[in-house]
Order: sequence, then structure tokens, then C-alpha cells
Amino acid sequence: MYEVRLPDLGDDAGDEAIVSLWHFEEDDEVVEGDDLVEMTTDKATFNVPCPVSGILAEIIAEEDETVKVGEVLAVIEEE
Amino acid sequence: MPRVESRFPPWIKKRLPASPQADSTRHILERYRLNTVCRSAHCPNTGECFARGTATFMIMGNVCTRSCRFCAVRGGEPEPLDSSEPQRIAAATKEMGLRHVVVTSVTRDDLEDGGAAHFAAVIRALRDLSSEISVEVLVPDFGGRKESVRTVVQAEPDVFNHNVETVPLLYPEVRPGADYEVSLGVLQFARGLRQRMLTKSGLMLGLGESKEDVEAVMGDLRRVECDILTIGQYLRPSAEHLAVVEFIEPAEFERYLELGTRMGFRTVASGPFVRSSFNAAEVADRARLT
Repeated sequence: MYEVRLPDLGDDAGDEAIVSLWHFEEDDEVVEGDDLVEMTTDKATFNVPCPVSGILAEIIAEEDETVKVGEVLAVIEEE
Repeated sequence: MPRVESRFPPWIKKRLPASPQADSTRHILERYRLNTVCRSAHCPNTGECFARGTATFMIMGNVCTRSCRFCAVRGGEPEPLDSSEPQRIAAATKEMGLRHVVVTSVTRDDLEDGGAAHFAAVIRALRDLSSEISVEVLVPDFGGRKESVRTVVQAEPDVFNHNVETVPLLYPEVRPGADYEVSLGVLQFARGLRQRMLTKSGLMLGLGESKEDVEAVMGDLRRVECDILTIGQYLRPSAEHLAVVEFIEPAEFERYLELGTRMGFRTVASGPFVRSSFNAAEVADRARLT
């Protein structure tokens, strides 16, 4: 199981973002490099790419939730 | 699942790179205790630049003596200068393998020379490291002090950047401690001191300026023989900062690029995510080729 965590967005202060859109649903197959989830900060919208290929086993952070850098967004069952 | 309506138009979207290089860049900066404007100003390009192994060093501390209303760098009482900083920047540059180094600073109105000698020391430390490295400085206005501009230029940076940031009409609101004419004067004086050096300036759009205002600033910059122009979208760092009045469409940035080229800038970088130091090495290369 691979835990996808919110990567550093470059912000020094207020290192958090809102989950604005999941590009996949649970049990979908995902491929490394695909846009996995869209996050929104004060400055812009960011797409977080899939770090590994596999099955999106669980979405931990639902849309509209605020997540801090380093927190788990989802779990991927690696191929 | 409920969907959050995006607060941004579709073109204000970045893709985070999935690259371990970003962590490596971060670690080098931490190890040498260096500030970057990338992080301090909450730049949305930080992930992308760090993943490519680039960063813009911000010298003379992390506290600014001005309080421009667009900028996330905090204001207050600055720290004393650290004489080891030039060497630390040179060491980080070596480790990062940079061929083009961009150095900016907080504004230090508390220092007699505004920090010009410290800038010069950084440039010299980089020159001592390698004659192959090109150095770009992005300087404050030094309160318009010509001696400070001279001190920096005499250290022979390859690119001398000073941003006018916005149109003169918006200075009282956006850059309350600054003066448009002083900024133009800094660029003009630097240009006159050394012809072999490229001069550069930049603007943020979306603060309520008109197209005519922007075009007038572009004309002013050409009059002081500015070589490189950068134009980007202003993005509010937090709710405490100036609100974005307008998101400028990509086609409009394209129009400024074409206009700027026709006006005689050696190169123009214009786009929503263009920042003063974004892709600085490539921008400087383009300017040298024209």
C-alpha cells in the first residue's frame, strides 16, 4: 500500500490546501504520472500527479477538505 | 461527492512535478541556511523550479523593511547582515550545479547603502567560484541612491534586474514605500554604467491597471533602454494581501509579448505564471542571442 501525501506546494506559511477535485474514484486503476487530485491554495490550483501505478484503494481526504503538507490524501495499492 | 467551484480560471493551474530532485534542492538550501524568494513569497512555481534544481536566493535575511501589499515576505525589524552568506551561496551554487544564479534580497532601508556592498560580495563570491557562471541580481531601489547602484554594477553582474512591479497610478496602494520614477532611475543609471550588462524589469498584472497604463510603462522601460521584460499575473499570497482585481487571459499576455518584442525589448517573458526570476537562465540566453 502506498500512501499519497500532499507534497510541498512551495508555501512557507500556511502549508495547506483544499481538495478541489478527485480525477479518479476508489477502485479505479491509476498510472504513475496521471493527474490524481486537484488542490487549491490561496494562490492557484495545483494538480498532484500519481506517484505510483496501481489501484486507488482509498480516498482519505474528500473534496472540500483542507489538508496540510505531508498528510495522507489517498492510498494506492501498488501493482 | 460535493465539488468545490474553483476560485481560479482554468489557466491558473499548475502541475506539481513528481520529482525527488525538489527534496534535494530543499535540503541543500536548508543545509546552507539560505532563504529563497520562492518560498518566502509563496511562489506557485516553487515546486517546478526546485524539481529542476533551481532557486532564487534571497539575501540579507527574511524580514523586509518595506510592507508592499502584494508581497508575502514579512516586514519588521531585520537581522544583522551575516558575512558568511556570500560563501554559503557560492557553496550551494556549486552543489546545485547552477550555471545561472539569481540573487535577490529583502529591502534593507535600515542599512546605509541599502545592502549594496553585500550584493557585491555575493557577486564576487560567485565569480571566484567560477568564471563560467552567469549572475543575475534582482535589486531593491536602494532608495534611489546612485552610489549603491554603482557598487552593485561595479561587481559586474551579467543581468541587473529591478522590478517596477506595477503601473505608477497604483504605487500608493501596491508599493506604498516606493516611487515609480526612482525605480526607472535605478534602471537608467545602471544601464549607463555598464553597457555590456543586460537590464531587466517586470510587472504584475491584475491589480486594476488598464492596458494603456501597462503599455505606457513598457514605453518608459524602453526609454531607459531596459533589455528584458517579464509580465505575470498577480496572485494573492493570503487573504491579508491585496485582492486580485482581474485574471488576465493568456491571449492578452501573448499580445504584450508581441508588443514588447516590437517595441525593441531583447526578450519578453509574458504569461500568467511568469515571475521575475522564472526560467531566468533561458530568458537571459534568449536576450544574449538577440
